Amino acid sequence: MKAPAPVAVTGMGCICAAGKDFPTCVQTLFSKDPDPKPPSRFTARHPETHPVFEIEASILTHLHSREDLSITAALGVAAARQALEDAGWDPEALSRVRTGVCMGTTVGSTMNDEAFYRTYRSGTLPDLFPVRRFLSSNPAEAVARTFDLSGPCLTLSNACCSGADAIGTAMSWIRGGICDVAIAGGADELSRVTYNGFIALMITDTRPCRPFDRDRNGLNLGEGAAVMILEPETSRRVRKRAPRAFVLGYGSAADGYHLTAPDPDGAGLRRAAGHTLSADGKTLSRIAFVAAHGTGTKDNDAVEARVLDALLPGIPFFSTKGHTGHTLGAAGAIQAVLAAACLNRGTIPGSAGFFTPDPQLPAHPTRHPQKIRGDLALSESLGFGGANAVLLLKRGGDSS
Amino acid sequence: MKAVIRGIGVVGGFGTGISTLEKILMDHGPFIESFAVPDGQPLGGEPYAPVDTRNLKERFSPRSLRRMDHLSRTALLAAALALEDAADPGGNADTGVAVASGYGAVRTTFAFLDTILEAGDAGASPTLFSNSVLNAPAAHISMHLGARGPNLTVSRFEMSFSDALSIAVQWLEEGRAPSVLVGGVDEWCPVLGHCHHRFSKTRDAAAFLSPFCTGLERARIAEGAVFFLLSPEMEPASGYGVVESVESGRLPRDTPTFPKDAVILTGIDSHRDSARPRLPGDHRVVDYTGYYGTLPVGMGFDMAIASVIVRRGRLFSVPDSTGGETVVDGFQTEKAPKIRRACCLNITPSGAYGLITLASRPDFSENSRPQGLMKS
Repeated sequence: MKAPAPVAVTGMGCICAAGKDFPTCVQTLFSKDPDPKPPSRFTARHPETHPVFEIEASILTHLHSREDLSITAALGVAAARQALEDAGWDPEALSRVRTGVCMGTTVGSTMNDEAFYRTYRSGTLPDLFPVRRFLSSNPAEAVARTFDLSGPCLTLSNACCSGADAIGTAMSWIRGGICDVAIAGGADELSRVTYNGFIALMITDTRPCRPFDRDRNGLNLGEGAAVMILEPETSRRVRKRAPRAFVLGYGSAADGYHLTAPDPDGAGLRRAAGHTLSADGKTLSRIAFVAAHGTGTKDNDAVEARVLDALLPGIPFFSTKGHTGHTLGAAGAIQAVLAAACLNRGTIPGSAGFFTPDPQLPAHPTRHPQKIRGDLALSESLGFGGANAVLLLKRGGDSS
Repeated sequence: MKAVIRGIGVVGGFGTGISTLEKILMDHGPFIESFAVPDGQPLGGEPYAPVDTRNLKERFSPRSLRRMDHLSRTALLAAALALEDAADPGGNADTGVAVASGYGAVRTTFAFLDTILEAGDAGASPTLFSNSVLNAPAAHISMHLGARGPNLTVSRFEMSFSDALSIAVQWLEEGRAPSVLVGGVDEWCPVLGHCHHRFSKTRDAAAFLSPFCTGLERARIAEGAVFFLLSPEMEPASGYGVVESVESGRLPRDTPTFPKDAVILTGIDSHRDSARPRLPGDHRVVDYTGYYGTLPVGMGFDMAIASVIVRRGRLFSVPDSTGGETVVDGFQTEKAPKIRRACCLNITPSGAYGLITLASRPDFSENSRPQGLMKS
C-alpha cells in the first residue's frame, strides 16, 4: 500500500514557561532544571501550595497587549506569528492563499469569568466586558482574524489531546486539498478556576511533578501555546523552504471507559497508536523515540508505560511536562514541536522530575539526554473523557 | 465521497425524536414554547424552552446516569435516538463521535463556581469540574454507546455544528471510522439568559421569531441536541439523503456556492444582529427556526429538517408568527416539483459562514426509511 503523502512542517512557534520562543524552549529542555512556583497572577486558598509553570510576567505583558483578547487567544496568536515568520510567510502573501486555522484549547472555550459571576450572584448588574472578551477570543477565530485568513477554521476542545488533535486534523486538511496552508496548534492560559478544579480532583503535586517516577504524585499545571505551519510537500519545494519536520500520521480513539480515569489496559491509546503506525508499514523500525504525555499522575503514567512496553519495547521515551507543566489544550502541540526539534537535533532530553524507576511499571523514561537512531517519532496525548491522540512525526530534510 | 444520513436523533423544546419534529413540519407547527426563568435567579433573564431527558432512563441504568449533567444527558439521548432511528441501536465499536457545542456545559460550569464561592477554593467539587469539561458529552456518548473510534469536540459558537460535520465527513473519506455519530448540543442557563437579555435591549415583546424582519430582537432562546449517524455513501440501503458538501468561508472574500436546484434553509434565528445574507434571487428561501428556537447549534436542527425535506422531496410551509398566514417565500408546497437539494446556511455577524448541502438519493424513498426503535 502506498503511504499517504507527507505533510511538511515549514515553521514552528512556541511560548511556555520554558521560554518566550521556540529556540529558547528547546534550549531549556536540554539545559535548565525546572522551577515551578506558586501561581503569581492569582491566589487560592488550599492547605498546601501546588506549584505551576507560569510564563514569565514580562513576556506575558508584551504578548497580551489587547484587553479585548483573552490571554489564551493572545498566546495562540503570538505562537502563530512566530511560526509564520519561521516559515517565511508574510501576512499579505498568506491572505492570497487558502489558509486554514485549527487550534486546540480547553480554558479558551470555557465561559467562567469568576469576577463577572460573583457580581451576577450578588444581584448587581455585572459589566459585560468579560463576556464580550470571551466571545471575541475563540482561539482559532482570533488567529484567523488577526492574519485576515479565509480558509477553514476550527477550535477543538478535546481536553488534553486538543493540541495534538488540531495538528492531526490540519494534516488531513492539507492531504485532502481543503486548504493550501494550515496554522495548527494549541493554546491555554493558567486559570484560577482550572487550578481549583485539578486540585479538587487530587491529581496535582505539591512538589515539582515527577513523570513516571516511583514517587510521582500528580501534575503541575502550566500555560502556553505552540503552532506548526503545515503545507503540502510540493508547495514547500516550490517555495524552497527547508522542512522543519513532516507530519506523517495521526490517530484518535476513545477509551469509552471513564470520564476522568484512563482505561487501565490503554485500549484507546493502543488503537490511536495503531492507526497512526498503519499509515506506513515500515515505520516501526524507524521510530527513534516517543514523546510521552507523561503528566506525573499515577494512572496516566502507568497506562502509558504499559502500552509503550507492549507496542514499542526498547524504544526510548521521555516526558516534557517536568519542563513545561501540563498546558492542557496546548500540551499536545507543545510536545509535538519539541519532539520535532529533538528529531532534528538527534538527541532527546532527560525526563525532568524522573529519578527513581517505578518497579510497578514495565518501562522507564530517559533520565539523561541521549542520542537517537531513527528519523521518526511518536507524540502521544491522553485526555479527560478517555481521549487519545497520537502523531507520527519525521525529521526535517528528505521527505521520503 | 459523500456521506449518507442513516439516522437522526433530536431533542429540543419541541419534544423528542425526529418523528415529533416531522409531525410539527407536517402540521405547520406549533412554534416552540418558552417558559419563564426558574424562581430564585438573581437577575432574571430571557424565557427559554427546556428539554426533557427523562426517557434516558428507559435506555440506560440510573446508576450510569447518576453523575451525568444536563448537557451530557441531552447529547446522549439525541445520539441514542440517531442510532435507534438508523435501526442500529448497538452501534459499531469503531464508530467516531464528533460533537459541536457553542458554549458547552454552562450550567455545570457555573454550578462548579458556586461550590468555590460558597465553600471556598478547597471546597470545589471534583464531580462538577470533570463534567464541566467541554468534551464530557462526547465522552459519555462513547462510554454509553460503545463508540470508541475517533472522538472530538469542537466549539466556535454558531459555527460549531458545520465544523463538526466537516470533521465527520473527513473521517469517513479517510476511512478513519466506518460510521460517525455527529451532532451538536447546547443548554440554557440563567447566566446565558441574563447576558442575552442585556445584549438585546430592543427586544420586541409582542412578536417573536420573525426571521426576515431586521432590526428587532425576536429570538426565542432554546436548548437541545441533534445527532446524525453518517456512513460512507456506498454502504446503507436506507436513510434520508446524502451530505454532498460542507463549505466554510468568510464574507465578503468568499462566496457560498448554492446549487441551482437547491432550497435554502437560512437558520436566521431572529437575533437582532443575525447576519442577513444576500441570497440569490432565484432560490427558494425558508426558515424553520420557529420550530426549534435559537441556540448556537441550531444549524444542526436545520440539517435535520433539510434531511426530511430531501427524503420527502417537499417543503413544509411555516406559519407567520402573527397568525395563520402561510408564508414560505410565497411558495405553495403541495404543487411544487420534487425538492432534490437543500442547503443549510449559517452566517455570523462577523461574516464567517458555513454551508451544508444535502441531496436526495432516489433509492431512499419515504418507505425505505429505517424503522428503528423510535422511542420518543
